[in-house]
Amino acid sequence: MVIAFACLVAVAVFGSLIFLRPSDLPVQAPPSPFQHLDERKAAIYENLRDLQFEYRVGKLSDSDYQQTKLDLQRELAGVMAEIDRVRTELPADLQSVPAAKPKAAAAFLCPSCGATFQQSLKFCGECGKPMKARA
Amino acid sequence: MENVGAFALLMAMCVSLFAIVAAVVGRVRNKPFLVLSAERAVLAVWALVTTASGILVYALMTSDFHFAYVAGHSNKAMPTIYKFTAWWGGQEGSLLFWSWLLATYAAVVVVTNKRRHRDFIPYVMAILSTVQAFFLLLNNFVASPFQVLAVGQFITSVPDGVGLNPLLQYPAMAIHPPMLYLGYVGFAVPFAFAMASLITRQKGDAWIHTTRRWTIVTWLFLGVGIVLGSAWAYHVLGWGGYWAWDPVENASLLPWLGGTAFLHSVMMQEKKGMMKIWNMALVAVTFFLCLFGTFLTRSGVVSSVHAFAQSPIGTYFVAFLALLVAGTVYLILDRLPYLRSESQLESVVSRESSFLFNNLVLLASCFAVLWGTLFPVISEWVSNEKISLDGPWFNRLMIPIGLFLLVLTGVGPLFAWRRTSVESLRRNFLVPGLAAIALAIALFALGMRNAYAIISFGFCLFVMMTIVSEFYRGARAISNKDGINLLSATVQLTHRNTRRYGGYLVHMGIVLMFIGWTGSAFNQNSTVEVNGGSTATIGAYTLQVVELRNGDTENYQWDSALLKVSKNGQYLGTLEPERRFYKASQQGTAKVALRTRLNEDLYINFAGRVGDAATLQLYIFPLVTWIWIGALGLVGGTLIALVPSQVTRQYARTEVVGIKKNVTIEA
Repeated sequence: MVIAFACLVAVAVFGSLIFLRPSDLPVQAPPSPFQHLDERKAAIYENLRDLQFEYRVGKLSDSDYQQTKLDLQRELAGVMAEIDRVRTELPADLQSVPAAKPKAAAAFLCPSCGATFQQSLKFCGECGKPMKARA
Repeated sequence: MENVGAFALLMAMCVSLFAIVAAVVGRVRNKPFLVLSAERAVLAVWALVTTASGILVYALMTSDFHFAYVAGHSNKAMPTIYKFTAWWGGQEGSLLFWSWLLATYAAVVVVTNKRRHRDFIPYVMAILSTVQAFFLLLNNFVASPFQVLAVGQFITSVPDGVGLNPLLQYPAMAIHPPMLYLGYVGFAVPFAFAMASLITRQKGDAWIHTTRRWTIVTWLFLGVGIVLGSAWAYHVLGWGGYWAWDPVENASLLPWLGGTAFLHSVMMQEKKGMMKIWNMALVAVTFFLCLFGTFLTRSGVVSSVHAFAQSPIGTYFVAFLALLVAGTVYLILDRLPYLRSESQLESVVSRESSFLFNNLVLLASCFAVLWGTLFPVISEWVSNEKISLDGPWFNRLMIPIGLFLLVLTGVGPLFAWRRTSVESLRRNFLVPGLAAIALAIALFALGMRNAYAIISFGFCLFVMMTIVSEFYRGARAISNKDGINLLSATVQLTHRNTRRYGGYLVHMGIVLMFIGWTGSAFNQNSTVEVNGGSTATIGAYTLQVVELRNGDTENYQWDSALLKVSKNGQYLGTLEPERRFYKASQQGTAKVALRTRLNEDLYINFAGRVGDAATLQLYIFPLVTWIWIGALGLVGGTLIALVPSQVTRQYARTEVVGIKKNVTIEA
């Protein structure tokens, strides 16, 4: 009885290690070369938000606020420049597009001048004429 | 049945070794099936260790006394709950419990990261499996829980067991060891992620984001374990204290201090990309201190009131620790270019420097406790004489360090990141600083002459005011902007950044605990001999002995004294301290009588009885309840910090062709 149980356990364990189906393989997108820079960028945005809040509640003097804000903006510019540098070093088959640029999805189209907008507008932001039709 | 248990443990060890090889080879050679097999192996190890643990627990519950472990740590008269807790009541069982917890954590890591961090998860599995294999080695060959009682070649059994140490037959004791172990074992996970991140040369902070909740939960378990242990010592042991700087107590405090330092310094990395090497070192040191704590508890290398048996297990621990330390040091040194700071410390008067100080002081306290704990061993090496450092030595050192940490708790949040001008300092420090000084002067004027107590109360008020002001200012800003009342604004403020405001509540809990600890400067005690009808006094309390009682149950014999208690002539009620003598283990324990109030505890211990006379130890402990209230604050604050913040760190990822776009960083 004991031996049979032990054999059963052994077979179950070895079976679980050996019988693997391709469908069991986890699928994950390859890591982005920009990941650490994107994280840094997000951290700076968060720091800016915190700075703004601390200034609003009166914890910071004007000079501290202005100086720190300037430092954070400089830091952000440095990270953006680093993203551009990494992008130029990428192999040709792995080209990237900057995240900041909104996609030119023609969601709302001005019938007069042809400008496109991501949200619905009563008047065109470019020519000022009324917008009616949805593209 | 013991054979199945032993077989499962042996097999678990082999499968753990397979998991290490499969994970590393699979990752290096880029063989996903091998990595998948390693994942299955981690789950199989959990199943096998669970089977072995189940068999041991079943043997304990059914009082199967041909198991040496069951005969040594259980008996028939024990309540069922304590039969179960006997799983971790002895050396072999507790090491098996360690293994089981680690297997469970590893299985959770595998399951929750099925589709994440595929580049370094194989190494996480390999590191966790290495630790697992080490503990399974101990379970199999050094401290097997499946040894049977035998006479010659024949298996035998005894009619009844020795029973679990009666001191451990107490509800808090049923939870205290597993809590500590959940903490000890849990730090293996952030350590494994950190090392895997180093091995794979990760540039980002993915390991920190992924293990943030693990670390907090683990730290919470450890903290709760420590507090439960001291609450148990206070309520059960009858010596009137909650902390004695005993080596085993220190062993649990060390990783908690390390973990606290890590939880703070990690914010520097997340916010400013600083202290990356320090964080790697700190998470490793914390995990090593967890292993060291287990080693200290289980090896008997330093004598402790916890009185665990001497065992050869220490050599294995030292060897394994040395291996891990060497590996970690090599990895950190080799990967230094990937751990470069992304920014610099810009001003000494800044949040960064307060974090740095906090870390240095926590580490200094860690080193002081470690030095004091190991001093008997060190002195034996140097002078062949075993010298133990006692409570007063630790207090002399730790009270000033503790006070410095306390004031940093208040100062830190008032400093701004990067720099703080004199104008900002004046805005934030003026009111709490003046209030603290005023309190100190008032206490001195009222006759308090204990310098540490005056400083401590002053600092406590200072920190409390800074925390309240943080909540008030934030809530007022939201209230003004959104037009909601202050209470709703406070809830919203906390929900917006649960980590920060939960952290402040933890700080508030720590302040309350400091109030309780400071109260110990005014303890009173007295030992009296009484008999039926006699009277004893301590402070403003008068105790009249109504009668001395005794009795007998299946599990123990007992003696007690029924006392009428009055204070300043006003009758308060009765108390009945008791002393029990457990038959199976032939050990005596106290059942302390307590009158708990927010301002002080009246604590009475029945020390012994000779004929018609009983010896009572009487104590007054001012403010001690605030320690337990503070601990609840610590738990509550930590739980809030675990709730996901309303405002999360989100960003649009820089796109690379073929890669998904949006990411939310776990915060």
